[in-house]
Amino acid sequence: MSKAILTDITKCIGCLKCVSACKETNNLEMDVPRIWQKNDGLSAENWTSIIQKPGNHFIRKQCRHCLEPACVTACPVGALQKTNEGAVVYDSDKCLGCRYCMMACPYGIPRYDWDQSVPYVRKCILCFDKIKNGDQPACTKICPEGATIFGDRNELLKIAHNRIAENPGKYINKVWGENEIGGTSVLYLSDIDLSFLSYNTHLGNKPLPETTEPAMKSVPFAFVGMGGFMLGLNWIIRRRMELSKNQNEDRGNKDE
Amino acid sequence: MNRVQNTKIILWLITGFAAAVGLNRFIFGLGATTNLTDSTPWGLWIGFDVMGGVALAAGGFVMTAIFYIMKREEFHPLVKPAVLTAFLGYMAVILGLLFDLGLPWNIWHMIIFWNPHSPLFEVGWCVMLYSAVLLLEFSPVPLEKYSRYAKIRNFLMKFRFVFVLLGIMLSTLHQSSLGSLFLIMPFKLHPLWYSNILPIQFFLSAVALGLMMVAFESLASHWLYKRKPETSLVEKLGKTVVWVLSIYLIVKIIDILAAGEITIVLNGSWESFVFISEIFISIIFPIIIFSVPKMRRNIKAQWIGSFMVVFGMVFNRINVGGLTMLSITGDSYTPSWMEITISLGVVSAAALVFLFVIEHFNIWDLKPQDPESLPHTAPSFDYSSHAWLGTPDAASLTKFSLAFVLSFAVGMALMPEKKLHGKGIEEITVSRASGIERLLINGNKDDNLVEFPHKEHIARLGEDQCAQCHHLTLPRFIENSCWECHTNMYKPVDYFKHNWHASSSGANIKCDNCHVEGVQRESKSAKNCVDCHPKYDFNNARFIGSQKYFAISYTDAFHQLCVSCHFIKADELNKQNLTECKSCHKVKIHDQVAENLKWKTTLPHFNSVILPNIEKEKNQSEMSKDEKENINN
Repeated sequence: MSKAILTDITKCIGCLKCVSACKETNNLEMDVPRIWQKNDGLSAENWTSIIQKPGNHFIRKQCRHCLEPACVTACPVGALQKTNEGAVVYDSDKCLGCRYCMMACPYGIPRYDWDQSVPYVRKCILCFDKIKNGDQPACTKICPEGATIFGDRNELLKIAHNRIAENPGKYINKVWGENEIGGTSVLYLSDIDLSFLSYNTHLGNKPLPETTEPAMKSVPFAFVGMGGFMLGLNWIIRRRMELSKNQNEDRGNKDE
Repeated sequence: MNRVQNTKIILWLITGFAAAVGLNRFIFGLGATTNLTDSTPWGLWIGFDVMGGVALAAGGFVMTAIFYIMKREEFHPLVKPAVLTAFLGYMAVILGLLFDLGLPWNIWHMIIFWNPHSPLFEVGWCVMLYSAVLLLEFSPVPLEKYSRYAKIRNFLMKFRFVFVLLGIMLSTLHQSSLGSLFLIMPFKLHPLWYSNILPIQFFLSAVALGLMMVAFESLASHWLYKRKPETSLVEKLGKTVVWVLSIYLIVKIIDILAAGEITIVLNGSWESFVFISEIFISIIFPIIIFSVPKMRRNIKAQWIGSFMVVFGMVFNRINVGGLTMLSITGDSYTPSWMEITISLGVVSAAALVFLFVIEHFNIWDLKPQDPESLPHTAPSFDYSSHAWLGTPDAASLTKFSLAFVLSFAVGMALMPEKKLHGKGIEEITVSRASGIERLLINGNKDDNLVEFPHKEHIARLGEDQCAQCHHLTLPRFIENSCWECHTNMYKPVDYFKHNWHASSSGANIKCDNCHVEGVQRESKSAKNCVDCHPKYDFNNARFIGSQKYFAISYTDAFHQLCVSCHFIKADELNKQNLTECKSCHKVKIHDQVAENLKWKTTLPHFNSVILPNIEKEKNQSEMSKDEKENINN
């Protein structure tokens, strides 16, 4: 029963109500432009933003809540977790501030409190407190156009495919987030190319945690293997030295 | 004597300087110290201090493998310095990491909160375990000096082989898993460096780097203490490194060919240039130098060859660690001078400890004469101040502490005020109002330009009313662009930094200094800014006066300015479309939004769109008309 958000780009009018609602719900402070911010509107105090593209397109950017998140695999202390409800949540008590999650995210979502002396990682948590209790996130709740809706992921996928089928030519025949890097819990329907939301235009369907899995699985083998190899090498060399020593002694005896 | 002492003074100077900067980092955070950004969260401290530092410490496990496992007894003089370097290297890595981590006091969390899927978790554990093993491996050396610890020492010596073996096994994991860290970033890391076998490449390059680091260190410390260089040993290391580098080169070439990236190598981008130079510096030139017997024996060639490998491999770590991600993330990153200072400071501190240990414990088969405690050296006398500096030992201590304190003070003095107080607010220089006919304003920096009739505004508002737009100048700025106060498009913005004023590291003002005693503490009952800062006269800023500490939102500010006149003109010329959004905004606003924006209705987030008093404005504009006519006449 993994929950998800479906955002229909063609319906969004760019009113920014979702941004305001997000700020209020998560008690985010007012934002000041900082040198370390990206120009996509997201920041430590802005967990969702509207990107305007030429031709009246408004794209809401937020954490994608991947089904197999790279950040969750990356975090060395498990401060980031994928919950059953679909949200990727953050536990600031565990975090040690290594920022590996920020490096690992293919969408460049997590932001950092660079100006704080006690900084945390900040990103959309899909209003986890609300969806846990059966409510929906603030952003989908307030949307006046129904451009961004919340629901069961499978049902949303059905809705998305229905919309594509019912309005031929209106959408690009693709639900963004259905399969890329294992799928995400934030889906997009769009009439323009949305590949600018990620670092690479062709993400592929392979989940990112699978890239490190072979290396991590071979860790015990490498550990034991290297130990065995070194012991074996040591044994051979010692044996050789002994042999040559004996030979030398034999020779010495013969010479005498 | 001078050579050692001068080197130490330089190292102390750097350490003191870095200590001051380090203090700044812990008080004011990463943003005030580094140039890291949301798209470049790892910078010099990870690329050089951690990635490079671990790689530089590889000499420890390579030398112990050669000496203890492969029983090459002739390398004995190099083993202890190598293990010492490895230990200090790891300490430096941990120290560097403490600066880089956002919450360094949580570094121990890895012990109790486990995530075995994370490569960083493995790296962290390897650092912890290997540092402990190195300590056990090395501690017999300092313990040798004290006879009362003989039992412990003997105990440790018994298990030395186990420690060595464990050290090699942990290092293998650790060096390779530093490469695994980047496997999860196939979209960020440049394809020339990204590879499925990054861990193997990292391990191979670490072995090569370890060998050459030991060689370089031997050459350097012998130069420093004017000892006979261990040329023959370095030569043997050179012979070995040729093999390792060749394997590394072949692996790299096969990897590039298999991925079909040969065209990227030659496409002339700056990455391809970096890649080719990295290959030549770290692999090809050293192979040439160390495979020609004549050069291999030449001490100058040894210096160059070993330095090339060390430099080239650290360069590789920096490239993988973030440098080659820049074009993909579209960000620019240059380490700030404070980042560079702290990196250098960590290295200098480690070097000082290294020199101390070398001088006081039995590291080399022949201990260098401690140049500062030679009995026949005369006490230092400073001719300029006619002061005795005490015994040579105390004199050098005086000099070192002086160097440290001096550079610490300089570091504190150089701390940029902007970094301390502004905490990274983007600095936009706005050119002085030129008063030309029409300006294209990109005030919100989103490239949506609106036409702004500047001259008309001056005429309408009056020559002395510049402050309405070019209103009060905040500290540190000569001119402000509109949005430095109106930072939010839709909300009134607090530009009075209350927390900064109250915090002890900021202005350190007591509550009662601003808020009147006995009255509830709120902005209404507080002092006005101008009471403390006579420079900022708020009386000229009309809009700000109404809400003492708030600048109205950017949208409101500009709408107030433009819309009033539009309404007047629309009535005058009977052109109702002048009141529509598209008469100013080049980018078409969605009809539905525009519908809502009829100025009578206000959406909650377009709060307080205050329509100016049209009658009053009318009078003003008539006045300005009269003035215009006067001017024309």
